[in-house]
Amino acid sequence: MKKLRNTRLIISTGFFLSVVALGVVGPWVYPVDPFSPSGKRTQPPSWEHPLGTDAHGRDVLAQLMHGIRTSLWIGVIAASIATPIGVLVGGISGYKRGVLDELLMASTNIVLAFPPILLLLLVTVFVPVRTRMVVALLIGLTSWPLLARAVRSQVMSLKERQFTFLARMAGLGDIKIVLVELLPNMMSYVFSSFVWLMSGAMLAEAGLSMIGMGVTADVSLGTMLFWAQMIDAVRRGLFWWFIPPGGILTIMSASLLLLATALDELFNPKLRGR
Amino acid sequence: MNTLLVAKDVKAYYSSPKGFVRAVDGVTLDINPGDVVGVAGESGCGKSTLSNVLMMNVQPPLKFVGGKLILEGVGDLAVMERQKVKAQVWGKVIALVPQSALNALIPTRKVGAFIKDVLGYHLKLDARKASALAQRRFQELGLPVETLAKYPHQLSGGMRQRVVIAIATLLNPKLLIADEPTSALDVSTQKQVLKMFLHLKTEHIVRAIVFITHDIAILRQIATRIAIMYAGKVMEVGPMEAVIQRPVHPYTCSLIRSVLTPEPEVKERGLSHLAGDPPDLLQPPAGCRFHPRCPQSMAICTQEAPPVVGLGKDHFVSCYLVLEGCQC
Amino acid sequence: MYLNVLRYLARRVVFALAAFLFFIVAIFTLPRLIPGNPVDVLVSRLVMQAQANPELIHAVHRKFMEEFGVGLPLWKQFTRFVAQLLRGDLGTSISMYPRKVSEILALFLPWTVALLIPAILVSWAVGNFLGVLIAWRRGTVLDRVITPILLTINRIPFYWFAMVMLFIFAVYLRFFPIGDTYRWGLSPGLNWNFVVNYLHHYALPFLTLVVISTGGWAIGMRSMTIYELGSDYILFADLLGLPQRRLLAYAFRSACLPQVTELGLNFGLMLGGSLLLELVFNYRGMGSITFQALSTLDYPLIQGIFIVLAAAVIAVNLVVDIVYGLVDPRIKVT
Repeated sequence: MKKLRNTRLIISTGFFLSVVALGVVGPWVYPVDPFSPSGKRTQPPSWEHPLGTDAHGRDVLAQLMHGIRTSLWIGVIAASIATPIGVLVGGISGYKRGVLDELLMASTNIVLAFPPILLLLLVTVFVPVRTRMVVALLIGLTSWPLLARAVRSQVMSLKERQFTFLARMAGLGDIKIVLVELLPNMMSYVFSSFVWLMSGAMLAEAGLSMIGMGVTADVSLGTMLFWAQMIDAVRRGLFWWFIPPGGILTIMSASLLLLATALDELFNPKLRGR
Repeated sequence: MNTLLVAKDVKAYYSSPKGFVRAVDGVTLDINPGDVVGVAGESGCGKSTLSNVLMMNVQPPLKFVGGKLILEGVGDLAVMERQKVKAQVWGKVIALVPQSALNALIPTRKVGAFIKDVLGYHLKLDARKASALAQRRFQELGLPVETLAKYPHQLSGGMRQRVVIAIATLLNPKLLIADEPTSALDVSTQKQVLKMFLHLKTEHIVRAIVFITHDIAILRQIATRIAIMYAGKVMEVGPMEAVIQRPVHPYTCSLIRSVLTPEPEVKERGLSHLAGDPPDLLQPPAGCRFHPRCPQSMAICTQEAPPVVGLGKDHFVSCYLVLEGCQC
Repeated sequence: MYLNVLRYLARRVVFALAAFLFFIVAIFTLPRLIPGNPVDVLVSRLVMQAQANPELIHAVHRKFMEEFGVGLPLWKQFTRFVAQLLRGDLGTSISMYPRKVSEILALFLPWTVALLIPAILVSWAVGNFLGVLIAWRRGTVLDRVITPILLTINRIPFYWFAMVMLFIFAVYLRFFPIGDTYRWGLSPGLNWNFVVNYLHHYALPFLTLVVISTGGWAIGMRSMTIYELGSDYILFADLLGLPQRRLLAYAFRSACLPQVTELGLNFGLMLGGSLLLELVFNYRGMGSITFQALSTLDYPLIQGIFIVLAAAVIAVNLVVDIVYGLVDPRIKVT
């Protein structure tokens, strides 16, 4: 069993890092401008354009490499925003219980039950120019509820243990107990949560872009799919255009999720559950 | 009368990344009809593991390493497949009340419905007959019949414990093993549960009981024989009065002294007057396992495990002091 | 005992109403946060979008000044807004002036419901069954191979998978039509011709949705069942000699309960996914109308869509909570 988990860890990390390498190192090796036409329109893969060109004659491989960067960037920033919110809301809610808990959980459930994409829609309508930062912020602010719920149940179980009791006896304040005593015990969990939040954020970005509500004036994996969809690439059979961005997105997102579950099992097999 | 269950040099280890944890390491124990065998020891001495091993409920990471487990009329459980033991023995011949009895009832099923499942499967009883049998048994054991129509979360802790014992003995198993059945309960509920055990035995619903606990005072009210476990081994075993009145092994002495002293401050300290902690079962000490904490440790104790010596009827002890004719 | 059920139900209903109110306030506030007159801004977008004639634009402007209640105090605007809502009046569309938003939605909503609800139920059932199966065989080759695959499927973007499915089965293999809800010229009705044609169009989006969502359900059910199989009551039932099948049934029952709650929570997610999927398949449901509303910046229509979907999500969650209360004895009798 132990060995199995490690292979899962290695395989998922391997996949993820190769995609990252493609995005980070790729543009150095393959310095083609993703933003302007570099060949004829809708060319199938060739030596000149390994993944062909899109309907504007832009190189798909160059776009893909740039898109990976954008998606990763948004994933990291969004997860960095969502993780502390989730930990804080879940931590306070699980530790304090009572009315505060009810209120926090009620709002968590509202955000959770609601299709994030709709919430994002509503806001994006009023933000016509969307930089990477804006999109990352929107996704980050709407993707914390699952984490909050998980952290809450963990805090509730950790709270029952001896060291919390001792800390309370020693007269530590509640927030301080959560931060100083409970959080270190959940660090590995928080880290793996960061990983799966990142995985989800990249999917959310692509979903937003798909309906034209993602980053403006930039290339991400989502905007590639958006343009392919707008220009009817599927029905025109331009598979080289729409298959790679979604495939890469799936590989990145799935390898991150696998990584998160492997980390979870590795660090704290007992602390699982929802 | 034949011995009901003979455990002979039974060894069961947990495999962990750091090596084997020798939780049960060469336990020999006879259980005769009419016996209430109390197994006592500190937490972590392997007594809970022993309760599962005695009925061959051995699943990874726990591994049965060696020894025999001869069950009267069935044979050596140790060489049987798990599924076969389960089909022939569990519930019918040997029943276990697990340590976590408070959570042992299915949360989404009424007590009566669960009993119908059990009786329907084992005795092929239809719902009506099963419910009649359940009612009769509950009445006999002094449990309110209304309990059958309730969900576990509607019952108090003590009631749940008693219901679990009643269900475990529905099929009149020959041997009932109870793992810490009283430790989570308050004193008055403890009394009720003990009464129930005695009733089960005097009415011959079960023929023998293995009662596992860290609380020697409780054993005094119920046990006929006592086995003292330390670090995976039985240190001393014998008739209850003999062991309590004239303990031989220094560990037994300290255990009894800690519990039976009337002064509350001594009682509360528990075993703390014994220096040191129970040993790491990954690397148990050489020789006698108790020697690092033993007040009467001798040179030989550190080198070679003491032999098991018989002291009169059914009283065995594993200590060099006996050979020298001393008592503690 | 019934008092408990009532109290539970009352709490859920109050929660649902509060959540709905929250969204109403949000949707009321947002356009009014735009500096200046919101109607000017919204209508000016129409001018930029389409070369509409000035008379129409004036008519639209006048209509919206009235509907928004510009110039009235905020609280009066709000009570008007709520009163209109209660009458089922979601305002008038800008891009399809003078059609009412509620009329437009009534045209598109049923198709989304027809796609989404069966897909959710089928994937829920299949996923849970698969999850229990894997949990039962946990640690075996089956588990080791299928679980990572399911995790991966769970991460495939809905819309991209839809594109791939469409490409393979409709464009390349030509098993299915390359999109649309039913053949142009047919009129919806309960006749053989229409139903067959509709199902032919329906199959691919439906299957796509089911395949994608099954993964998530199966993973959830697997871990819930494994968790339950390790619980103390299963141990006790095992030690009583009850057969494996029975133990699995007990674990399944307990594991199903949280899955019922998840059904409500996932509804929103699947709704979002299916909207995108409709776009790819040119399926004329809420997804298409949402996209149209967004690309024409038809605010009243966006608002209407938002309110309807919010109400749907909240209602589904309420129903799920009620069902949960009925099946979990811990709530029914305390």
